[in-house]
Amino acid sequence: MTAILLEAKRMDAYYGPVQVLYGIDIEVVSGGITTLLGANGAGKTTTLRSLTGMTDTKGEIRFDGHSIAGHATEDIVRLGIAHVPQGRGTFVRETVEENLQIGAMTRRGGAQITADVERVYGYFPRLKERRRQQAGTLSGGEQQMLAVGRGLMLRPKLMLLDEPSFGLAPLLVQELFGILRTLNRDEGVSMLIVEQNAALALDLADHAYLIETGKLVMSGPSRELRDNETIRRSYLGY
Amino acid sequence: MELFVNQVLAGLATGAIYACMALAVVMIYQAIDSLNFAQGEMAMFSTFIAWQLLQWGMPYWAAFFFTVGISFVAGVLIERVVFKPVQKADILSHIVIFIALFAIINSGAGYIWDFNIKPFPSPFGTRELFGQRLISSHDAGMIGISILMLILLYLFFAYTRVGLAMRAAAANPESARLAGIRVGWMLALGWGMAAAIGAVAGMLIAPRVFLEPNMMLSILLYGFAGAVVGGLTSPLGAVIGGVSVGVVENLAGTFIPYVGRELKLTIALALIVAVLTVKPTGLFGRTVETRV
Repeated sequence: MTAILLEAKRMDAYYGPVQVLYGIDIEVVSGGITTLLGANGAGKTTTLRSLTGMTDTKGEIRFDGHSIAGHATEDIVRLGIAHVPQGRGTFVRETVEENLQIGAMTRRGGAQITADVERVYGYFPRLKERRRQQAGTLSGGEQQMLAVGRGLMLRPKLMLLDEPSFGLAPLLVQELFGILRTLNRDEGVSMLIVEQNAALALDLADHAYLIETGKLVMSGPSRELRDNETIRRSYLGY
Repeated sequence: MELFVNQVLAGLATGAIYACMALAVVMIYQAIDSLNFAQGEMAMFSTFIAWQLLQWGMPYWAAFFFTVGISFVAGVLIERVVFKPVQKADILSHIVIFIALFAIINSGAGYIWDFNIKPFPSPFGTRELFGQRLISSHDAGMIGISILMLILLYLFFAYTRVGLAMRAAAANPESARLAGIRVGWMLALGWGMAAAIGAVAGMLIAPRVFLEPNMMLSILLYGFAGAVVGGLTSPLGAVIGGVSVGVVENLAGTFIPYVGRELKLTIALALIVAVLTVKPTGLFGRTVETRV
């Protein structure tokens, strides 16, 4: 059974008077990993931001049975969407552990939250070593892990990940994507991943969309897109 | 020597009040990036409310805490009603609104309670403590209450979830929203707390400067000076800055010829200019280095 967890229909998005997205139709299947590919400035980040109410949008957006179009970001997030933003959204002056606590702000129950902090440390042991450190002093890779960890603290049904590989060393990227795969497989967290590194994303995802200048131009199972001539030339580079 | 110690202690007492005002200013500055020019008038109005309650026969401490509560609610309301609709407006709009608030509250207080100065009671009396002429009991009370309040605030921000949520909302509103934090309400809460802190400062300083609609004008300037000296981004710096301004002002007024009472306020302004020239982030303003 493949229930649809997130669905946007004919979604337009605007920054002030400027329209940047045109009639985007996107679906994320419950338990699946979907990726959104595209060049710089194609509208990938804007798509994610529109899904969590951070731009002016038109059209229909449904998540887990709720209509969320036009809702406030914090209300959308409370339904169980963890959006790990571009730039990682680190609270630089707060400690690593406080950053994780902030991620659990929508939840009650101190014992469970403490257990979840340990769970995140289990995935990212490096964060545990630095738990009392100001988060702004972490390396880029560590901050990316902290951002994913902060998202996990929400106990999300769906994670929106904006360029998780950005600025990371190749080994770290491998490690991070391995963890994302585990999270999806073992904990059933669905994901929508925006990536410039198309090879990496197609490897992880089971479904892919391609966006060009604000419009979706292609969609299908990752396998098919990987074998597609255009994608291969323009985005995979061989 | 006795005069020196005497003046330092008196400076600490007024410095504690400047520290409270500086802290209130910094709390709002962190939330909306502009200085609340009406902070002093809000505190003055709170003090008038306390005075009115006392006139109606309420015991001092009941009136004190009641006023703190009213001020908190009023601060929240000001944010929700006046500032929420213009949160996306630029900084000049904010400044104009602050000036309007200043004028409205100032003349409102004058209209309701008139501009004649009124005595305001101290719960600590004005006896001299320790049998010497070191510090009056009211000055000691001012210092004590301020320290107590600062400790409570520190504990609140360092160890409670709401405190952490407020810090997150001020530091990075967008990221805080993505963590599900209701940023708008956190800002309103900050306004409420700043108003309550100001109310305490107003009620403590009123026995010294007497109650009238312009009583907080110079106090707020000293508070600004304290906030700038300490760094507008650092609550701890604001407190230290406020206390230092109080002490420096008092010592300069006593020991430097020509300064006297008349030029005391100039010291505060000179401090602002000096600090901004030498270290624009203030003595404690932090710039965290981030790696990418």
